Amino acid sequence: MQGLNILLQPNVFMQLTINGVAMGMIYALMAMGLILLIRAIGVMNFAQGELLMLGAFITWGLTYQVKLPFVLMIPAAMLCFAFVGVVFMFVAYWPLRTASYPTATVISTMGAAMVIREIATITWGSLPLVSAPLVKGVVRVGSLRLQYQYLLTIAIGAVLIFLVFVLFEKLYAGRIMQAAAQDKYAAELLGIPTVLTTAATYIIVVTLASVGGYMIAPVFLVNVTLGTLQLRAFAGVVTGGFGSVKGAIVGSLFIGLVESYSSTFTTTYKDAVVFLVLIVVLLFRPQGLFGERVADKA
Amino acid sequence: MSKKKNAFLSMTVFKVAALSAAFAAFAFYTPRFTNDYSMMIMNVSLINFIAALGLSVMLGMGGQLSFAAVSFMGAGAYFVANLTNGRLGVIWEPVPVLAGAVLFAAFAAWICGAVLFRLGGTYFTFATIGFVQVTWSVYLNYKFLCGGPDGVSGIPVIRFLGMSPRNYHDWFYILLGFVLAAGFLIERVRKSRLGRSLASIRDNEIAAQTLGVNIYRTKVIAFTIAGALSGLAGGLYAMHNQFISSDLFTFDMATTYVIMTMLGGVNNTVGVFVGSILVTMLPEWLRPVQRYLKLSYGVGIILLMIFMPMGLAGLCNAVLKKLSKRILKKTRAEPDTLGWEK
Repeated sequence: MQGLNILLQPNVFMQLTINGVAMGMIYALMAMGLILLIRAIGVMNFAQGELLMLGAFITWGLTYQVKLPFVLMIPAAMLCFAFVGVVFMFVAYWPLRTASYPTATVISTMGAAMVIREIATITWGSLPLVSAPLVKGVVRVGSLRLQYQYLLTIAIGAVLIFLVFVLFEKLYAGRIMQAAAQDKYAAELLGIPTVLTTAATYIIVVTLASVGGYMIAPVFLVNVTLGTLQLRAFAGVVTGGFGSVKGAIVGSLFIGLVESYSSTFTTTYKDAVVFLVLIVVLLFRPQGLFGERVADKA
Repeated sequence: MSKKKNAFLSMTVFKVAALSAAFAAFAFYTPRFTNDYSMMIMNVSLINFIAALGLSVMLGMGGQLSFAAVSFMGAGAYFVANLTNGRLGVIWEPVPVLAGAVLFAAFAAWICGAVLFRLGGTYFTFATIGFVQVTWSVYLNYKFLCGGPDGVSGIPVIRFLGMSPRNYHDWFYILLGFVLAAGFLIERVRKSRLGRSLASIRDNEIAAQTLGVNIYRTKVIAFTIAGALSGLAGGLYAMHNQFISSDLFTFDMATTYVIMTMLGGVNNTVGVFVGSILVTMLPEWLRPVQRYLKLSYGVGIILLMIFMPMGLAGLCNAVLKKLSKRILKKTRAEPDTLGWEK
């Protein structure tokens, strides 16, 4: 196989690994958000990719239209993300929290995805916008040329993942959020304001996805089609195992690597390969690579 | 008791009469007030109904959210395209080919369902998303059978006993025939053992299992029926538009079908019909506000899910129930108004 020979050249292999891990990080940021939402409110969010896209547009707008310097841009963007998160929650989830038909909430996130995409198109147009990388240029390691953007993506993704873990495992606020996610009723009896914890979850989810959008913008251009990346995050969540954040992260990295490596074999069927792998994994390990088998609720 | 049954019967008769009248009016007046272009869109909405009906079997009757409808539409469409337009060297009669397309899509759906239903609930939904991506990728890139990015063109229209439709108005009546047949078939399925098994799976899978419903087999059969309907829709689409490409079978289209099904009322054939027509025709009707069309569409979906998650049919039923309560002056307290159980 010619593809395999190319893949096994150490340079190519390293390069593809770095690219794959970087893309995997982006998927992981989305996938983590998906899992947090599924755990907190039991909703599969079909607008995750659109949130990533919106993040890319917001940061682009703040940098090139409002012309804020980088140091001001970050807090301003964070405020925007929080605002988007709260609005998203009160529009697409809050009125539906007592819906008798669970699919309704899922469909409403599809509607929200459409709304976000259209708002972005109306505001920024449908032409791709160019965003400069945070740090230009490449690192040379031996004969390897690694783009700073990819390395930065990996680093920032890792930091964010770490922060989320610290929040949920170590901090009191995170425990409150977990309690509210596990048993809303009991949490409310204990005086936990579940509105606030849900809002906080939404803000975290939007921030994670948006930072992903900001990091990916220089690579893929700022474009409404960025939303399609969410399917990879879905794939990551499922391969990793539903309901476990660790699994989702590992699954997303796995998907990123599969995607990256498969490009030496075929470029036309790259999509197909990723999702074939997903289906194969599901068939042999329906609970995902790291998940425990949990039956759907009766 | 007997009185109640009579009232129920007359209600059903009334419903059927009203529906037939509405349908006849639809069949009679639509072609008279529609130009050729709008007629084409209307026809597409009828075709979409057939595919959405398959989804309603899966989601409404069985409670399984599947995105795979577009995959089997593609299977049916490319099957018809390849065997009737001569690009593979064969030009077969359209009607047998269409039947073949339905069988082919059903067979593909059967295999796919048998494999994917080893997964339960949400996993199944995700697997169908993956499946749609895989098939779309094949439809987009496979030159030999699917024409690659250019799609397949020059597909001949349907021909039966030497007659073929001359324009989109003729097509309208042909498609109405298919719509009626599909609608009746599904209504029949709903009342059958299979339909009841599916409903029991939707409402409580574990309880259904204890009652002896073979969950796996029932789901696979439902998936096969849905696949056959999608294949029929795909084949009809190929013959109607005479051109197909992979754009028709994307994940976005798959979500559109889900929305069609949900809009009208997920478990209601008439509702799905109204939903398919609304979703397909809206872009045409709202042409003046084209720029904000999709935005209002998305907002509409959210509002719909908030205020009437069971779709237009659910709203209709609720209104009817209230009306009949008022007319019959029922004073007996319903058990669910006591508030013990939500």
